[in-house]
Amino acid sequence: MPPLLSADLKRPAVRLANVTKTFGSHTAVRDLSLAVPRGCTYGFIGPNGSGKTTTIRTILHIFHPDSGEVEVLGERSTRAANDRIGYLPEERGLYKKMTVRRVLAYYAALKGMNRADAAKASTEWLAKMGLSEWADKKVEALSKGMAQKIQFIAAVIARPELLILDEPFSGLDPVNLEVLRAAILELRATGTTIIFSTHDMAMAEIMCDFIFMIYRGNKVLDGTLADIQRQFGEDTVRVGCGGGAELLRGLPGVEMVRDLGQLQELRHGDPQALLRDLAPRTTVRHFEVCKPSLHDIFIRIAKPDLQEMQVPKTTGGGA
Amino acid sequence: MNKVWRVAATEYLNAVRSKAFIIGVLAVPLIMAISIGAQFYAQKKTDVTPRRFAVLDRSGQLYPPLAAKVQARTDGLRAGGKSVSVALKGQSLKVDLPPQAEFVVEEFKFSGDDLKAAELQLSERVRRKELFAFVIIGPNVLDPRATNGTEVLYHTQTPTYQDLPAWVENTLSGEIRERRFTAAGVDSKQVRELSRSVTLLRLGLAEQKATGEVVQAKRENRIATLVVPVGGMVLLYLVVMTSAPALLNTVLEEKMQKISEVLLASVAPFELMLGKLLGTVMVSLTLSALYLGSLTWVLWRFEQLSNVPGQLFAWFFLFQVLALLMYGSVFLAIGAACNEIRDAQSLMFPVMMVVMVPYLMFIPVMESPTSPFSRGISLFPPATPMLMFLRLAIPPGPTWWEVVLGVVLTTAFMLGCVWASAKIFRIGILSQGQAPNLTKLVKWVFSK
Repeated sequence: MPPLLSADLKRPAVRLANVTKTFGSHTAVRDLSLAVPRGCTYGFIGPNGSGKTTTIRTILHIFHPDSGEVEVLGERSTRAANDRIGYLPEERGLYKKMTVRRVLAYYAALKGMNRADAAKASTEWLAKMGLSEWADKKVEALSKGMAQKIQFIAAVIARPELLILDEPFSGLDPVNLEVLRAAILELRATGTTIIFSTHDMAMAEIMCDFIFMIYRGNKVLDGTLADIQRQFGEDTVRVGCGGGAELLRGLPGVEMVRDLGQLQELRHGDPQALLRDLAPRTTVRHFEVCKPSLHDIFIRIAKPDLQEMQVPKTTGGGA
Repeated sequence: MNKVWRVAATEYLNAVRSKAFIIGVLAVPLIMAISIGAQFYAQKKTDVTPRRFAVLDRSGQLYPPLAAKVQARTDGLRAGGKSVSVALKGQSLKVDLPPQAEFVVEEFKFSGDDLKAAELQLSERVRRKELFAFVIIGPNVLDPRATNGTEVLYHTQTPTYQDLPAWVENTLSGEIRERRFTAAGVDSKQVRELSRSVTLLRLGLAEQKATGEVVQAKRENRIATLVVPVGGMVLLYLVVMTSAPALLNTVLEEKMQKISEVLLASVAPFELMLGKLLGTVMVSLTLSALYLGSLTWVLWRFEQLSNVPGQLFAWFFLFQVLALLMYGSVFLAIGAACNEIRDAQSLMFPVMMVVMVPYLMFIPVMESPTSPFSRGISLFPPATPMLMFLRLAIPPGPTWWEVVLGVVLTTAFMLGCVWASAKIFRIGILSQGQAPNLTKLVKWVFSK
């Protein structure tokens, strides 16, 4: 990795300025501006088909924007920085007939890494992931979880400055998930900028410094979790009471009741009025006014889509 | 360019290390060796049980000479197996002829007119396996003017066995001809001399040197005028068609296994496509180098290498590379545009029709290499690599401007194919869903 000048450090790892990308009559990304600071973890969230993958592919210059500017690791509108980017796409595969070592050597070579460095890095990463004994086995012999870890190694083997992970944890069991999470955090600690696309809101909350949400091609959220929560106000209430979600849904002013089991999460414009309403009706064990969760915020924004998606189910029509 | 090379090197190593390549390289010589071995084995297993046959000689004159010839044949067979020697300038190959069954003949005495009864009696003996066959010689077989009773009838239950009827036919024909000549008072030896057929010598053209000396035309060499051109063209077609279509599968496989997107994050689509193309060119050149190297050794061993002009090797490799880049880029584009092998097959059909042109047209070109048709079709770029090579290999070859024009047109067409395929590849490689039709592919080519 070449030494970074202080001017480089001040520049964002990724800067999109007014980027628009269309496919035929469909606008996948509209007038998007975004700045991903160096060394942070940036979470990309949004419903399926909202433009996340198009944004990622634009950052990688796999897609060229119709308008706007893309700057990645200081390189404007060229693929010059691609050797310094690691990418793990959502739909991923490996050459089944190649051995693990050869696959990793190939991906490292494509990133411009020399053979000796690639071999050393591959041995280290395989040991870290507990896959050393699989190095000379063919990929087709690996389990799904093992293959997923090899795909992750392929993305990081060339020590990228920017790592883009699209749904890195999908399909992983809790043990492997923790192994991968620890590896990502380690990279983050060594200064790698991480863009991390996920549908797992809890994971995004705990792992990301910044959250960016795209919805129908438009940026709808961009900032730290605290900023976003502040933006959505303190109208979220967690209640534990007799009668549970059923009782709460019947009360005036209550919106979006989410049953968490022992507690129910809901929105109410005036939490004090809610407490006054509840007290004569039931026993209140828990009452907490809190910031909305990312999950809650996501649902609030994407609810029209989710409702639209449910309509065909109930009517039996096609999508 | 470095990445193109890395993709090409990986494609090359993946291909040449695969079992399919090793089997492919060994397949042709292996199949030849097995078929030759199988023939030798089968020959040794030839059924040499003596074939006994009866002769009803209604002419009354032909049985004794026929029996004598059967005996002579048997004596010859018992004297030792036959072999032929093939001499090729200093090298001699002795090939044993397959063993043959002995014939045993017996005369069937028959007096009376009931020929049907005789036929039936002999047929019963054949059914009982006492006889293999029986022959009835017509009563008037020696009379050249007779119209009835002139046939020789051969009866058997095993009509697929050819040696006995063929031998009987030849032997009786010779004997009858001799007897007819003698009866007519003609010396049969003189007749053979007088009716000897003319020998046709095939020659090239005489030349006059700058010194004015006239060089006599050389005898035509079938190896140089037929085996080298056709063999070379077929080999060229073979090495191109065993390599280029494989590109479709590799790209389709990468697409189906979701590898393409990872690759595209590291290399530009054109670099990826070019790397794959060059990798395939290297695989194909390895294949042809192996085949041509082996053939050259064989020709050298039998002192036939002088029949292959040295520059033909250079033309072979040049046209091979042009054909691979031309066809290969099209196969790559189809692979990238489709999501399933089934979709690719329907798009392959029109391409295969064009690719088949040189194979379908090579006979008229070979027979008349300078006809307007041959000149025209050899300048049709998809057919040029094979057909221009064929014309170059047939002496005296096409004029220099035709070759230059052919190479220029094919190079231009190849570059056009690579350009159009790169446009399709760029869009197709990440496309999902329904496979595009030809109209859609054309739109992709002209899209920004």
